[in-house]
Amino acid sequence: MSVIPSRVPVTVLTGFLGSGKTTLLNRILSEKHGKRIAVIENEFGEVGVDSELVIGAEEELFETNNGCICCTVRGDLIRILGQLMKRRDRFDYILIETTGMADPGPVAQTFFLDDELKTQFALDAIVTMVDAKHFEQHVDELNEPAEQVAFADLVLLNKTDLVDEAALARIESRIRGINGTAKIHRTKNADVPIDKVLNVGAFDLNRALQVDEAFLEPEYPFEWGGVYSLTPGDYLLKAAGEHDHAAHDHGAHDHGHEHHDHEHEHGGHSHKHEDLELVVLPVPEATPTALKDALERAVRGFAEPATVVNCHGTLAATAAHYAVDISHAGADFTLSVKQPGAYALFFEHHPLEFGLHLVGQRPAAERKFASHHHEDDISSIGISDPRPLDPAKLNQWLDYLLKTRGQDIFRMKGVLNVKGEDRRQVFHGVHMMFDAQPERLWGAAPRMNNLVFIGRGLDRAEFEAGFESAVAK
Amino acid sequence: MAAKQSLSFALEPRASVTLDDYVVDCAWSPDGTQLVVAGGEGKVALLGAGPAGMSVEIVGEHLLGTLAVAWQPHGRRFASAGQDGAVVIRDAENGREIARFKPGMGAAQALAFAPNGELLAVAAGKVVSLWTPAGEKVHAFAPASSTAVALAFDKPGIDIGVALNGEIAVHRIENSRYETRRYKWPAPSLTVNFSGNGRFLASGMADGTLHFWNRSTGKDSQMRGYDGKVQLVGWSDNSRYLATSAGNDVVLWDFSGRGPEGTRPVVLSGHTDRVDCIAWQPGGEHLVSGGRDWRLALWRPAKAREAIDVQMADSDISALRWSPDGKRVAVGEKHGRLTVFELVAR
Repeated sequence: MSVIPSRVPVTVLTGFLGSGKTTLLNRILSEKHGKRIAVIENEFGEVGVDSELVIGAEEELFETNNGCICCTVRGDLIRILGQLMKRRDRFDYILIETTGMADPGPVAQTFFLDDELKTQFALDAIVTMVDAKHFEQHVDELNEPAEQVAFADLVLLNKTDLVDEAALARIESRIRGINGTAKIHRTKNADVPIDKVLNVGAFDLNRALQVDEAFLEPEYPFEWGGVYSLTPGDYLLKAAGEHDHAAHDHGAHDHGHEHHDHEHEHGGHSHKHEDLELVVLPVPEATPTALKDALERAVRGFAEPATVVNCHGTLAATAAHYAVDISHAGADFTLSVKQPGAYALFFEHHPLEFGLHLVGQRPAAERKFASHHHEDDISSIGISDPRPLDPAKLNQWLDYLLKTRGQDIFRMKGVLNVKGEDRRQVFHGVHMMFDAQPERLWGAAPRMNNLVFIGRGLDRAEFEAGFESAVAK
Repeated sequence: MAAKQSLSFALEPRASVTLDDYVVDCAWSPDGTQLVVAGGEGKVALLGAGPAGMSVEIVGEHLLGTLAVAWQPHGRRFASAGQDGAVVIRDAENGREIARFKPGMGAAQALAFAPNGELLAVAAGKVVSLWTPAGEKVHAFAPASSTAVALAFDKPGIDIGVALNGEIAVHRIENSRYETRRYKWPAPSLTVNFSGNGRFLASGMADGTLHFWNRSTGKDSQMRGYDGKVQLVGWSDNSRYLATSAGNDVVLWDFSGRGPEGTRPVVLSGHTDRVDCIAWQPGGEHLVSGGRDWRLALWRPAKAREAIDVQMADSDISALRWSPDGKRVAVGEKHGRLTVFELVAR
């Protein structure tokens, strides 16, 4: 009677129709892992998952609290999981596949809200599969793909063989813009080691909250920076692809897939002008430290008005802010260096998106910066600040936040430095469902608050002001 | 819990058997000589419960779990339903299969025989259908708005209640004509319970409320204050008490006099963990309860608020069924044990 069985981990698998969920499920089930895995499938009888331990479910939503979407749970899961646990040889793992159009919120909330399930099951992670081929189209047309990405602890960017590197970089940047903390794995044919998907422990407060360091950095207006050691001369700065002058000059259009310009791909006749902003800075040496030291100057550089440079134009290697026209594939520019030395380049978007590179030169050091694109309505806000928080004010702020923004906040997590506490305080939440507890001692580690909020229409200034209000005076 | 020994009844174990499965539910034969047991891993076991001790025969299996068993009133047949979507009707003489069918998409969730034993109602997914004891389809109602999770006939066998998400549908069967009446409440209904006197329809809800409708006026009464989902609901044989539970206590609503509205319920406390099953004695006024504290408690609420006897099981109590004569109780456990207790005067 005193033996408390450990809770059975549950992975929620979301993703649009055709993203490869079934392929992944079949891979997991066919691998020899010695686990008894039960699958609860929502797309009834539509696809063949190759196992006997598959239970069909029909999404049955119900509000535990009148009218509150944050308190909506899945009645079917409560019933089916309850029945599945009526065995002496219990299942080792539960996988729940949602329909392509499902909102993962209620599934996750079910494990917070139902007392029975809470004691028997532990939500492990929300895994979202993204179809690299169709994601950009879907995310522009529908709400669900962005929501599914927003909820994810892990994004499997699948079908990577069907698109080029530039598209993958673009999609990853878009995913990062929506969800700053999810891990992203690129996969072909849903081929991913099982231990990357199962027992991730994303909801386990005892494991250190893994937040992408880059995400917690201040917002930079650029996604990439590199330093080069250059001798005087002219260097070719070139976007990927062949520039078809003849076609361009005659107003016809190149339908090459290297184009970033969607209008081209759709065969329209308007010629959309597209710029990429960049900053050139002379730096003392071509080292990672020099790159880091140049960040502030780069931010100031981006704040200056940019000089527009047309295709074949020249950029001077002095401190300057440019906007280069990369409307066509293979657009090229000249970087003119007068003084030998180290130079830093900062690009607004990751250069892989356009294949933009300094021909024949490799950066001595380079760094990616988290994308803070806000092209999607759903985005992430990270706050990183060492100042200790006042526990009462912190509660006040979080209460207020949950009450007023609970519906808009899909996920939140954080490690907190609370005044008077020797331990890290960790928390996570799905909508208004919220779990918090003390974790390991700070010890000699530098004390730091790291918070992440993922949601719809979030205003950074509001979150920063809220955080400020919780700082111990 | 302190048992009051001054009252004159107690439960004594008579026979026991251990099955290689989790006892989800069981059903007695009308003559009280046999039991059919639903196993959580899927086994269907036929037990001989005669005076000579207990025999066990595994007669069938539902892949991924048997969800319900029911014995034909006045008859020699029983039915089982499972996660595999199948319903199987068997002959009690030898356990042999008489009929097997898949009445709908998804798991076959609930079974109920009409009191005269001539009709078997089955809930599978969103579809409720009616079958003869030989397995011939009589009727299928139009698919409901959600999965049907519980079924019950009223005492005359004219109405069949179906627990759904957001409503209880009551189908009236009269001379092969079917009519449906809906009792609505915006939460998943988990149980459906007609009072023996025909006056009330009760249902426990996932939102922690208990509802009962006066069947002649249609008036809905809501009882609140439960800790969680109201999963256990049962009328006493004389329709005076409605026993309910959503946690460690059994909560009784007294329908005598002007009824329970506006009154405080009788709370039977003593269990130290969640109660998972309750059962009223047929033809009597005893109630048994059992659950995760391994305790089997015997109550006689009309006389005492305390348990009049407590017995310990070997693991969580997962099924409680009185024999049709009201003299014995079958007690099923999570770890597979099934014990028959006899109600004895002391």
